[in-house]
Amino acid sequence: MGTPTLYKEKWLMTIDFTPSLFQQLARLNWNIVFLILSISAIGWGLLVSAAGGDIHPWALKQVIRFSVGILIMLTLALINLRWWLHFSYIFYGISLLLLCGVEFLGFIGKGGQRWIDLYVIQIQPSELMKIALVMALARYFHSQSYPIPFHKLFVPLTLIMIPAILVLRQPDLGTAMILLMTGGTLFFLAGVSLWVFGATFITISASIPILWSFLHDYQKKRILMFFDPSQDLRGAGYHITQSKIALGSGGFLGKGYKQGTQASLNFLPEKQTDFIFTLLCEEWGFIGGSLLLCLYVLLIVTCFRIILTTQNDFGRFVAAGMTVTFFLYVFINIAMVMGLLPVVGIPLPLVSYGGTAMLTLLMGFGFVLNVGLYRTLKIPRFSIGVF
Amino acid sequence: MSERENTRFLRRTLFLGILQLFLIVILLGRMYYLQIIEGSHYHLLAEDNRIASRPLVPLRGQIYDCKGIPLVQNETSFRVVLLADQKEEIEKTLETLSGIISLSEEEKEEIFKMMKKKRALDSLIIKDNLTWPEVSAIELHATALPGISIEIGSVRKYPEVLQGAHLLGYVASPSEKEQIDDLMLSIPGLKVGKGGVEKYFDSRLRGTPGRSAFEVNAKRKVVRELHQIASIPGEDIHLTIDARLQAYAQDVLSGYESASAVILDIQNGNVLALVSTPSFNPNLFPQGISHKDWHELRDNPYVPLTNKATSGLYAPGSTVKLFVALAALHANIIDKTSTVYCPGYIYVGNHKFHCMHSHGTVNVSRAISESCDVFFYEIAKRVGIDRLSALCEDFGLGTGGLEGYPHIKKGLVPTKAWKKEKKNANWTVSDTIQVGIGQGYMLATPLELVVAIARLAGGGKKLIPHLEDEGNVSFKDMGYDQQHLDLILEAMIATANTPSGTAFRWRIPVEGMEMAGKTGTSQVRRITMQQRKAGQTKTTHLPWKYREHGLFVGYAPINHPRYAITVVVEHAGGASLAVQAARDILWELQRFTKKSGS
Repeated sequence: MGTPTLYKEKWLMTIDFTPSLFQQLARLNWNIVFLILSISAIGWGLLVSAAGGDIHPWALKQVIRFSVGILIMLTLALINLRWWLHFSYIFYGISLLLLCGVEFLGFIGKGGQRWIDLYVIQIQPSELMKIALVMALARYFHSQSYPIPFHKLFVPLTLIMIPAILVLRQPDLGTAMILLMTGGTLFFLAGVSLWVFGATFITISASIPILWSFLHDYQKKRILMFFDPSQDLRGAGYHITQSKIALGSGGFLGKGYKQGTQASLNFLPEKQTDFIFTLLCEEWGFIGGSLLLCLYVLLIVTCFRIILTTQNDFGRFVAAGMTVTFFLYVFINIAMVMGLLPVVGIPLPLVSYGGTAMLTLLMGFGFVLNVGLYRTLKIPRFSIGVF
Repeated sequence: MSERENTRFLRRTLFLGILQLFLIVILLGRMYYLQIIEGSHYHLLAEDNRIASRPLVPLRGQIYDCKGIPLVQNETSFRVVLLADQKEEIEKTLETLSGIISLSEEEKEEIFKMMKKKRALDSLIIKDNLTWPEVSAIELHATALPGISIEIGSVRKYPEVLQGAHLLGYVASPSEKEQIDDLMLSIPGLKVGKGGVEKYFDSRLRGTPGRSAFEVNAKRKVVRELHQIASIPGEDIHLTIDARLQAYAQDVLSGYESASAVILDIQNGNVLALVSTPSFNPNLFPQGISHKDWHELRDNPYVPLTNKATSGLYAPGSTVKLFVALAALHANIIDKTSTVYCPGYIYVGNHKFHCMHSHGTVNVSRAISESCDVFFYEIAKRVGIDRLSALCEDFGLGTGGLEGYPHIKKGLVPTKAWKKEKKNANWTVSDTIQVGIGQGYMLATPLELVVAIARLAGGGKKLIPHLEDEGNVSFKDMGYDQQHLDLILEAMIATANTPSGTAFRWRIPVEGMEMAGKTGTSQVRRITMQQRKAGQTKTTHLPWKYREHGLFVGYAPINHPRYAITVVVEHAGGASLAVQAARDILWELQRFTKKSGS
C-alpha cells in the first residue's frame, strides 16, 4: 500500500479512484466541524436564555434543525467535487425558478414575499440562491482562460444581477447586498482589473438617487434612521437604540446568564433572531462577545487556509464564495446591532434562531469541507461534461 | 490559471483575509466603546428602562383636643383602581364595571379626563369609598375586569357632633395649581388641608410619601416589585381646643341664624373653642363635594363657608369703650372720679350725636357698666385718635390674632394717616368721636376682641393666642398701670353683676363663677333722623339683614380671670342674645372644669 503520502496522492489525484467513506471522513477538516458546533452551542444557550430558561420554543427546535443541517452538510462534503461542478448551473437554474416562484406562490411574511410554501417545508429561495450563485460563478470562472477578457464578464454579471434584482423586489435588502458583495468579491479574486471596480463604484454612487426611489418606505426609514437613531425613539429607531442600551449595559463581564434585563423584559426586539448578538453581549459582556468573534475569526481563517491550498479553480471559488458569504453575515449582523450599519434583517450565522439561514450556511460549509477534501484534485478547465 | 494569475489570486485572497480581519477589529473596537467606555451610561439607561416607581401615600396625622380626644378619624376606605398597564381596554372595562357598581356618565367622563393627564404607570382611581356590597361584587367579577383592583386607602372623617368645620377645616385633593407648586401633591390619592387646623398644620400632618419600585417590561407592565420605601405617617397634632366646650358652644350658637364665638385661656393664650355658625359638614369634601351641595353652601345667606370667628369684620361697638377708657386713664386725662354730664346727646360742630338716654352725671365706671355714649364722645375727643389707636393696637385690635391661620382677617384701627391714604381726607373730631363708641371706621374680628379682653383681664400682658399647647408661657408686660386696669375690670364686673349694668339680666348667679364683660352693638345701617323722631332707636323690627349685630366681650370668673370670651350674634338687633350665649358658655365651662377638678 506504500507510505501514507503516496497513498494520499494516489486517490486524491486520480479521477476514477473512489475512496471509502471512512477514508473520506478521516480526511475531513474536523476543525471546521468543531468550530461550527461550538458557535452553534453558544446559540442554543442563548436561545434558552431568550425563552426565559426554557428549551421551548426555540432552543430544542434549533438543535433538531442543526442535527438535520449537520447531516446534510456532511453528506454534501462527501460527494465528489466534480459532481458539484457538473450540477452547478442546474442548481442555479432551479434556484432562479424558485425565486421567480415566490412572485406567484409566496405569501406575505415580515413585510416581504420571501417565503415559498412547499407544503412540507417553507424555504426561502433567496437563501438557496446565495449558494447557487457562488457555484455558478465558480464554474464560470473555472472554465475561463486567464486573464479573463472584459467582454467575458457580462455573463457572470448577469448571473449576479438577475437574482439580486428579484430579491430586492421581494423586498430583501440584506440578501441582495450579500449577493452583490459575494459576486463582487469573486470578480475581485478572478483577477478583474481594479479599474473595473473603480468604474462600477462611481456608476453605483451616481445611481444611488435612482435606487433610492426603488426602496420601500420601511427600507428608506431604516436607512435614514440609521444615520440618526435619536430622531424616533419609539418608532423605527427603537430597535437600534434599545439594542445599544442592552449591549452597552452588559459592560465587561455582562449581567450574567439569563439576567439580561433588556432582553427578558422585552425591551430588546427580535432577541432570538437578528439581535441575538446583543443578548449575548448583555448577558456575557465584552468577554462573551469577544469570545464569539474569536470563534468566527478562527472559522474564517480555517476556511482561508482551504482556499489558499486548493489546487482547482472551481474549489477555490466555491470555498472563497462561501467564506465571504459567511463573513458578510457575521459582519453585517454585528455591525447592525451595534449601530454601525442600518438594520437590514441579516441573522447572526449559526447563532440566530431560524431554519433556512442555518441550512444555507451549513450547506455552504458542506461545500467548503468538500473543497477541503478534494483540494489537491486537479480539474482541467475543459473537463466538464454537457452541463 | 497560469503561475502569474495564480499568484494574483493568492495575493488578492490574502488581501481579502486582511480586510476581513480589519473589519472584525472595527467590530471589536465598537464593542469596546459601547461596553467599556460607555458601559456605565448604557447601564443607567437600561435601569431606567426597567425600573419604575409608584409613590405611597402617607397616613395623615391625627388631631386631638386638649384632653386627648381625637377630633378626626382616618377610616379605612376601599377604592377601585385601574392599573396603568390596562388602560387601553378602559372603555370595555368601565362598561362591565358599571354593570356591577353605579357609575354616572359624569364620573366616566372624569375618568377619561384623568387618564389623559396621568403618567403611564400611575393607577387611576375609578371610584372611592366603596361600600362593602360593592367591594364584594367587584371581587366576585374579578376575572371579567382586567386591570381592575381594590386598593385600601384611608379617608378622613370628622365627627358630626363637633361640627367643627371652621375650626378644623377639611381635606381634599389638591388643586392643579397646588400640584404645580409642590410636586409631592401630584401623588394620586394624596389629600391636603383646605382651611382650618388641617391647613394650618398641613405640612406636619401630611407626612412623607414612600416609594415602591417596580420592574416593568417593555409594555410597561409590572413584572415584580423590587423594593419599597415605606411612607412616614404625618405628625399628630394636640390642640388646645376643648372638644366638649367647642361642641357646647356650637350648640348654643346654633340657636341663632348666624353667630360666632372664641374662648381663650387667659393664663396661657390657649384657644379653647372657636365657633362659627351655621357650620357645614366637612365630610362632604374629602371625597369631592357634589355640585348640588356646593351650590347650596355657597348660596346660603348665612354664609356657612366663612369662619366668622376669625374673618368676620364687625364694628366693635360699645365693647371698645373699655379701651377708650383705659387710654384716657393711661394718658392721665381722667381718673376714677372724673365725671361728664350726659344730657342724652352731644353736639360736635353742628352735628348731634345721640346717647341711649340721659345718664346724668357719669364717672368712668358707670359710663362703662351703663354704656353711656356721651361720656366716651367726650373723652375720646380729649384723648385723640393717635393715642386711642396706639392703645387699641397694643391690645391686638387690627392685628388679626392667630398668625398664619387660614382665612384670618385683620380688623381696622383707623389713624389719621390711614384716612389720608384711603379716603384722601383729613381726620376730623367727628371721626374720633365715632371711634370712641366703636362705630365709624373701626372694625374688629371676634378673635381680635377676645385677645384684647384676655390682655386686659390678664393684667396688661401681651398674650398671644395659639392652637397648640405650648406648656407654661409667660407674656411680656405692656406697661399699663394695674390700678387703671382694675378700674376697667371692676366696671366690667359691675356691667354683669349690678342691677343697672347692661348685662345684669344674664349674670352667672353662682359664687366663684361670676362673669364680667361689656356689651356692644354694631350698626349695620345708620338710624335716620326720621326713625329716631318716630322713636325707632331699636332695630329689631327691621328686616333681618339690616338689624344691628349684638356683641359681648367678657371673662370669668371675676376673682381670678381664667377664661376670656367674645360672642357675636349677627343681626341680633341688640346685645342680649350675645350676652346670653356667653353666659351659658362660661357657666357650662366653669361647671365642667370644677366637676373634672382642674
